[in-house]
Amino acid sequence: MEIPLAMLHENEEAEVVGIRGGRGLVRRLSELGLTPGTKIKVLLSNSPGPVLIDVRGSRIALGRGLLMKIMVNLEVDS
Amino acid sequence: MIRVALIGNPNVGKSLLFNNLTGGRAHVGNWPGKTVERKVGRCRYKGEDLEIVDLPGTYSLTAHSIDELIARDYIVKEKPDVVIDIVDASNLERNLYLTLQLLELEANVVIALNKYDIAKSLGYEVDADMLSKILGVYVVPTVATTKEGMEELLEAVIKAAREKRRRKVAISYGKAAEELISRVERAILKDKELSSTYPTRWLAIKVLEGDGEVLKEIERSPCRDEILEVIR
Repeated sequence: MEIPLAMLHENEEAEVVGIRGGRGLVRRLSELGLTPGTKIKVLLSNSPGPVLIDVRGSRIALGRGLLMKIMVNLEVDS
Repeated sequence: MIRVALIGNPNVGKSLLFNNLTGGRAHVGNWPGKTVERKVGRCRYKGEDLEIVDLPGTYSLTAHSIDELIARDYIVKEKPDVVIDIVDASNLERNLYLTLQLLELEANVVIALNKYDIAKSLGYEVDADMLSKILGVYVVPTVATTKEGMEELLEAVIKAAREKRRRKVAISYGKAAEELISRVERAILKDKELSSTYPTRWLAIKVLEGDGEVLKEIERSPCRDEILEVIR
């Protein structure tokens, strides 16, 4: 099931499917390691503010608006 | 004196390595007009004087944020003799992206394969010699927390500084892009000042990417129309 990353709860894992954004955003996010096929995990999402996610062994915080543009696939088995 | 810059992703142990090399005698200095700090330290090794600059941690060298820009500007404009790229050996894939960007910038890179102990404990076997062969730069395994590999790193830095090699790694972007890159590069080469200040292939790639800072620089060139014609 393809959903925006913003919809994930804490401790949920998923795989990045694509980015719904312009060239600049796609570029920036791929520099941070968010390319299609990358596994991510939501580490902290307990406030209206930014969400902490694990990407390729680094923790990065991204805003919820931005997370709406990152499409992920919820893995059945992780 | 050998001018050395330290660069790497956030949290790879840059500042720890910096303090190891400079003996913690570092003082903190400001970049003019910028709020992000850089640290400058000195170090003597086997009669060589080294000035070491600790740059802000960054994942890439685009013009997105002020710290990335500072790191990039320092390497492009101040042209340090050697750039130590500190790489987290336990997370190579992510870290090598910045390495490739540095090589594209034609910096004189020495790789410190840091957190070598953690990589080992995770069961990773990193072949430093092979990595060195592939990238054409010195690769030194280090553990900054226990100061392992510091002497070897300094040896490699001094060797690299003497050789002054600026290896051009050509990462091919495919036929269509390469054609455009060489067209822009040819136009850039006509501007002597521009082509002697920047690596021309890197500049051409950045023009095609639409990098704001680079385009500003191109605007000042007498050859700007010819260069920009390609991207119109």
